[in-house]
Amino acid sequence: MAGTVIGEGLTIEGDISGDEEIVIHGNLRGRLTTTDAVTVGGTAVVGADITGASLSVAGQVTGDVTASERVDIQAGGKLVGDIKAARFTIADGASFKGNVDMEV
Amino acid sequence: MAETSVIGAGTIVSGHVRGQGSLEILGRVEGDVSVTGNVVIGPAGRVRGNISGAELTISGHVQGDLRGTQAVLLEPGARVAGDISAPRVGIAPGALARGHVQTEGEPAPVVARAAAPVARPLAPPARVAPTPVSQTAPARLEAKPLPALARAEAKAPPALAKVEAKPPLPPPTPTRVEGRPPLPPPPKMAPPKPEVRKPDPARVAPAPPQAEFTPVRPIKPEARRPPPPVVPVISKGTKAKKKKSHD
Repeated sequence: MAGTVIGEGLTIEGDISGDEEIVIHGNLRGRLTTTDAVTVGGTAVVGADITGASLSVAGQVTGDVTASERVDIQAGGKLVGDIKAARFTIADGASFKGNVDMEV
Repeated sequence: MAETSVIGAGTIVSGHVRGQGSLEILGRVEGDVSVTGNVVIGPAGRVRGNISGAELTISGHVQGDLRGTQAVLLEPGARVAGDISAPRVGIAPGALARGHVQTEGEPAPVVARAAAPVARPLAPPARVAPTPVSQTAPARLEAKPLPALARAEAKAPPALAKVEAKPPLPPPTPTRVEGRPPLPPPPKMAPPKPEVRKPDPARVAPAPPQAEFTPVRPIKPEARRPPPPVVPVISKGTKAKKKKSHD
């Protein structure tokens, strides 16, 4: 089980930082920093810069993303912002707008 | 929607958390928490901010006010510095609480609401008083609720009624009517209360900035009193004029 779960219907306005996995199904406005994986669920609306090991987006994310490993935008997911990650995938049906830096 | 959210042990949230569903805090939250469901704060949980929810179960440390629409339960190991208000308040042996505790809601809704506005302004000084000086006062408050929660509930209203009696404000007659017939209980309550309360009035003066509400009330009566003296001044002036006119 994930270390931190922000359930649907819950709103956090502020910064989240930690060293464990974070799963978001609710709303977040602020900043998100972790050393582990970040999962943005289908019902989530995130307006935050995200820093983590990896990011999986099935909901909506607005903000810059920095991932040490990978970023995956799932089908139905929407991401607006710049991405800096070693690996980056966009599934068919996903939306994305922003710059990508894959540290070539 | 009734999904349970978890703030893990390695996570720090600095900001407000609000919304629907239940919340379990195992990490740190620096900000207010307001949810419709239950809130559980684990032994390692740390919250700096006010918490409101249906049923609050605290095993960690909280610096802020707790407000439960159903209950507030302090488990062993809990440390709370702040006011607690809920229809049901439970403080287990081994839990520490410092602040104003009020049981309001189902048990005595009318009395609780009548006492609430008076109790609120009094709460800050009560909290200020025990904080710097002696932890003995809160310890006594804790020790008594421990054996039976019913006592804590029974204790809170009389305490408020007595405090109200000090200022010349006799609005909550219902509490007094209930309190007067049983004369024996007030004397019983009396010994611990003076000890707790004596520091309060003394400290209200030195710490007016923290207690924003208390200074407002004293000022009003003072503002009302000065006018009467003004009238004699006029009469003195008139006497002086008369003398001058005679001379």
